[in-house]
Amino acid sequence: MQIKRPSAGMYDEIFDENHLVRPHCEVLRQWLLQADEHLIAEKRREADVLFHRLGITFNVYGEDQGTDRLIPFDLIPRIISAPEWQRLQAGLRQRVQALNRFLYDIYHDYDIIKAGIIPAEQVFANNQYQPGMQSLKLPRNIYVHIAGIDLIRHSDGDYYVLEDNLRCPSGVSYMLENRKMMMRLFPELFADCPVAPIDHYPALLGETLRASSLNPDPTVVLLSPGRFNSAYFEHAFLAQQMGIELVEGPDLYVRNNQVFMKTTSGPRQVDVIYRRIDDDFLDPLIGNPDSMIGVPGLYAAYRTGNVVIANAMGTGVGDDKSIYPYVPEMIRFYLGEEPILKNVPTWQCRRKEDMKYVLENLHKLVVKETQGAGGYGMLIGPASTKKEREWFKNAITARPDNYIAQPTLCLSSCPTFVEQGIAPRHLDLRPFVLSGKKIQMVPGGLTRVALKEGSLVVNSSQGGGTKDTWVLEGEPC
Amino acid sequence: MLSRAASSLFWMARYLERAENQARLLDVSLTMALIDVPEDREEQLSVPLLVNGSLDIFMELYGEITPLNLITFLLIDDRFQGSVYNLFRNARDNALHVRGNLSSDVWEGINLSWLEFKELRLKGVTESSASQVFDWTRERSHVFRGAAYGTMLRNDTFHFLRLGTFIERADTTARVLDIRQQLALQPGDERASRPFFEWTALLHSLAAFEAYQTTYGHNIEPMNVAELLILNADLPRSLHGCLQEIASLLEQIEGQRGRRAKRLATSLFANLRYGDRHYIEEHGLHEYLADFLTRIQRIADQIQKDYMGWQI
Repeated sequence: MQIKRPSAGMYDEIFDENHLVRPHCEVLRQWLLQADEHLIAEKRREADVLFHRLGITFNVYGEDQGTDRLIPFDLIPRIISAPEWQRLQAGLRQRVQALNRFLYDIYHDYDIIKAGIIPAEQVFANNQYQPGMQSLKLPRNIYVHIAGIDLIRHSDGDYYVLEDNLRCPSGVSYMLENRKMMMRLFPELFADCPVAPIDHYPALLGETLRASSLNPDPTVVLLSPGRFNSAYFEHAFLAQQMGIELVEGPDLYVRNNQVFMKTTSGPRQVDVIYRRIDDDFLDPLIGNPDSMIGVPGLYAAYRTGNVVIANAMGTGVGDDKSIYPYVPEMIRFYLGEEPILKNVPTWQCRRKEDMKYVLENLHKLVVKETQGAGGYGMLIGPASTKKEREWFKNAITARPDNYIAQPTLCLSSCPTFVEQGIAPRHLDLRPFVLSGKKIQMVPGGLTRVALKEGSLVVNSSQGGGTKDTWVLEGEPC
Repeated sequence: MLSRAASSLFWMARYLERAENQARLLDVSLTMALIDVPEDREEQLSVPLLVNGSLDIFMELYGEITPLNLITFLLIDDRFQGSVYNLFRNARDNALHVRGNLSSDVWEGINLSWLEFKELRLKGVTESSASQVFDWTRERSHVFRGAAYGTMLRNDTFHFLRLGTFIERADTTARVLDIRQQLALQPGDERASRPFFEWTALLHSLAAFEAYQTTYGHNIEPMNVAELLILNADLPRSLHGCLQEIASLLEQIEGQRGRRAKRLATSLFANLRYGDRHYIEEHGLHEYLADFLTRIQRIADQIQKDYMGWQI
């Protein structure tokens, strides 16, 4: 099979600069070199059929049934060596710990603002800030029970945090199902390679959610917007794996500031809600009044301390792109440690001199909306047209505080099956970090891959796919 | 369990049972129409429409009862809520609601049925390919039942699912029996072979032909057929068999709710358990079945009210 090697200046996860397979990826060498085109094509079809049968499809808003789509799955795994993962893990722990401390601080003592590290208006005027969370005591002071941290590897070979997802990060079901699929399709690969298991993730998540309540034996539910949500499969999957009820807004009600679910044997009190609904839709009495997916009175019950919501309300301040540049400072401030994981250098257009630089260098930079997500509302300078740059120039000048800019990073690549054999495609990594009695994670995460040649956008809504992610335990045999 | 989940399970199972019943009915009607005299062909074909009460909507959409129209309407027409296509779709939608309560085997079975039927519909169904679709539908139903039986915990998920199956089944058996016996006993029909045809068709469409022969031998006697389908405790599709299941399932559901549903079901069960054919004969088969249909409907309503309805 034809293998296209990465071009010079790119970091490839499997091939080094001399086009040799990196030592920890040795297991893939034989496999890739001998891969039979027909066999691979057959395995890809098999994977498609299996994913469809499992129902691992996502709905596209506004489309009729019959258009359940699959997120493309690539058969070549991404491999991370044991020492590299050790370092990533330590860095992720540190980062999530600092972010939780930050969220506690901005709803209680405001130390970081008093210390002049973060300007007050960037916190309090942020539209994700929930004044109602002020002075509310949460068990173990945990705000972010589940975090998804997006990492990329730059051409310098080092990892950078691209984005923290602290609201309702999704994608973990793909991480789990991708592994199951690989083990089913290529069991022989796992025989030769010490891949760290990840299938205990639902157990860890369940443990984390139970630990979030002061009740020693809490009733935990997963609150979903319902089957029209694009991540519904994941909601159902996780609820089933954890053995908890999958509920929708109308299944819950509040009486005397306590939350109950409607069961066949009568009302049953709910202690912990793992919610996959945004803050604004949780309670129509305080958020969006038209929300049909929320629970009226939930917020009052939450404030009374009768129910835990995971993640907490108001965590969106912590993953906002305008707060992102301060995370390394947070780590120094709250933990007194040097950050292990790097931030991408960021220009904040709200600063005059930053804005000037950004406007002069639009063609080189990536510009993002501070509140944007999902790969929307961004400009990729080197790939942009003059018209697009003009548009952003006006937008930035009108609302400088709405935009940040970053250098165009060269995301690392990994060999991927494409139309013509195998070719390098860019990817990122989203590990899921759980904060309960302690901070835990399973080795690995969701690897997303941009399937279009040269594309740096890995989001599934923009044509991205996924890969299985292997973290090695010790040396490969 | 969640009331909404109970409702989804109940209806999911009802839709799947209905799909299977419909395929069986249609299969038998088409076969019977082939061997019947030409002037009665249309009547044979209309049986499935009479059983599910869709004759009017069918005539509105198609205007003429032909085998192909009937196949299209009952199997793949997306305009008709009761087509097998829509039944599978609704079953799958409900299954998606309770994906977390179902075992993977049950979920994947239902999901696959839907995916395959979608494909099948795209290809279209003709008179000659219809019997493959009937076989396929029956098989998918068996897969669902087998997966549910073989892989699910015997908890309320299972109980509500099975309740849906047996409510639907009891309803169908009573309806089919009623319609067929009316056709068989039509006054003014001189042909001696006609009742035989009708009763045989009836037994076939309820998968009870072999059971009849085992129990009564080769002679098809109307009251024997009625006795088998109503009172025989060992026939999975008899009214007695269904009510036995329903009463016992209701007893196993957790919690203190459902007293009224239990009372209604137990009393109907007692009527069947201790009933005899002479009573049915004296009462009139049609009247007996009409009364049964009212009561099974009341039980279904009460189950939904007791376990799935909420007034806060």
